[in-house]
Amino acid sequence: MIFPSVEWFARLGELMEENRSVHQHVGEIDCSCVWTVFDADGQGTDRHFQTTFELYSLVDVREITEEERVKANFILETDVWVWKEMLESIAEGGGRPDLEHSLNRLSLPGVPIRLWAEDPLDRDMFFRFNGSLQEFMNASVHIPTTYLVEE
Amino acid sequence: MADLTDAIAKLDPPPLATHDREEELCAAYEAAFEADRETWINFATPAVERLEKGSFSLAWMNTDGGVWGTRVKPSSRGLTFMDVNRPKVYGTVADSVPPEYRNLTPRGSIREPYKDMLPVYDDFVVTEKWDLWADNVSTLYEEAKARQWNATKDIAWDELEPLPEDLEKAACQLATFLTEIEFLAGDFPAKWMYRIPAEFLEIKAFLATQIMDEARHLEVFRKRALAGGGGLLHVNPMFEWGSKALMASPTHTSGAYFLNLIGEGFILSVFRGGEFLARTHVDREIFRRCLQDEARHVAFGTIELKNYLENHPEPEQAMAVMHRYADIAEVLVSTSILQPVVLEPLAVLMGGGLDEIDSGMDGVAFLWDVVKEEYLQRCDRAGLFRRDVCKFGELPWKAAVS
Repeated sequence: MIFPSVEWFARLGELMEENRSVHQHVGEIDCSCVWTVFDADGQGTDRHFQTTFELYSLVDVREITEEERVKANFILETDVWVWKEMLESIAEGGGRPDLEHSLNRLSLPGVPIRLWAEDPLDRDMFFRFNGSLQEFMNASVHIPTTYLVEE
Repeated sequence: MADLTDAIAKLDPPPLATHDREEELCAAYEAAFEADRETWINFATPAVERLEKGSFSLAWMNTDGGVWGTRVKPSSRGLTFMDVNRPKVYGTVADSVPPEYRNLTPRGSIREPYKDMLPVYDDFVVTEKWDLWADNVSTLYEEAKARQWNATKDIAWDELEPLPEDLEKAACQLATFLTEIEFLAGDFPAKWMYRIPAEFLEIKAFLATQIMDEARHLEVFRKRALAGGGGLLHVNPMFEWGSKALMASPTHTSGAYFLNLIGEGFILSVFRGGEFLARTHVDREIFRRCLQDEARHVAFGTIELKNYLENHPEPEQAMAVMHRYADIAEVLVSTSILQPVVLEPLAVLMGGGLDEIDSGMDGVAFLWDVVKEEYLQRCDRAGLFRRDVCKFGELPWKAAVS
């Protein structure tokens, strides 16, 4: 499957269902999150995917425009290379990133991942549901992933 | 004269301990019971007489004045507080709790016929909705229940990897400080929970989750200090003075702002920074789980402060008073964490070892800025604009080297 794509995120949603007991243990998640993937060559082909979570499920995933992003609770944005490196770390760790490649670790300094929202309380949802979001992304270990970038 | 005596008695400092005053306290309790004996007899006598006759009252089956037949319906996630509050009779929260309901009578129950029989709990002093409410409280309460975790079993303690002594000492010193903090974070809501009438049941329930969260945090950090084979290290006297000041906050809102916006906001950032501080997956998991809990408390505190500032009957006075509290709280928090027992282990962990403590301080300085900026953002969100008057200054070390 190609990262990024609606199908790729939807597959993560399916894995949420398949690993429901994991998510039930971590707890309910209710928020919408945008994953922005900046293009690798600066050609203006940035892509934005909004995932909406309810309880233990991904209930909606769609590709949206840059302007639509602010409707979500928060946005995580970075270059495709960073996402790739993070996903590879998860894969190498058997479904757990190394200490340098968790969502929180990569976003705390503001680089390489920028976490933002217009409302700081919406931004704080990233913290409130952090474990669920990390488990959501950790399931990528089960997705054979190809990237729209070359080494 | 009685009023004067009562006023003087209230000025007495609270007793430091009760263990050596048991006789005295028991006698006072008996005297208080004697004062209420007639009330007890008035309640008990008809009940006893009725039972002796073998008859029943069944007055409780009369639904006049109630809302019998109002069915609340569960949503997809079960029957939440939000669901049960949909019918107005259950969901309408009083703006002010009248004296007759400053007790444990539940909102929505048939209580009006009994109002002249009910005691007033003298300790229930937080009686105004503007002084404690937060519109997100029910959501946060449900979320808190759904995201509880167990420090005994959810942390893979057997995977805790040995660290070099300098890093283990730093981890243990930080864990010691965090344990100390979590006592405060649990004791403050506990102190005020009992001062809130049952009318505000959602607030009381949320505070109970906060107390549980903090109990789990002090547990997990205590265990972390011990599990690595090191142990608890040094306490922080300056922090204790700051905590004492927080516990002495004279109103619920002032203390909740102090704790939830500044204190918990600081801790939230430290836990976020835990990903940098963590030298093992076990430490990272601890910080991440605590991070989620703290973020709920911060969200509650922010909206509670917003509610206070927007709904206080004298908003200008409320704003001025909160700024005065903030002038103190910002100084207390920002100086409490300057102590070597806080900053230095953070720097050692950030840097990756004692030899790298200088570079670690760069990370600490960055974290300091994150703490301040996120705090100011939350103040902005609440309507308390502190950017131009904030007493949370630059990290002195950073100022010295820049």
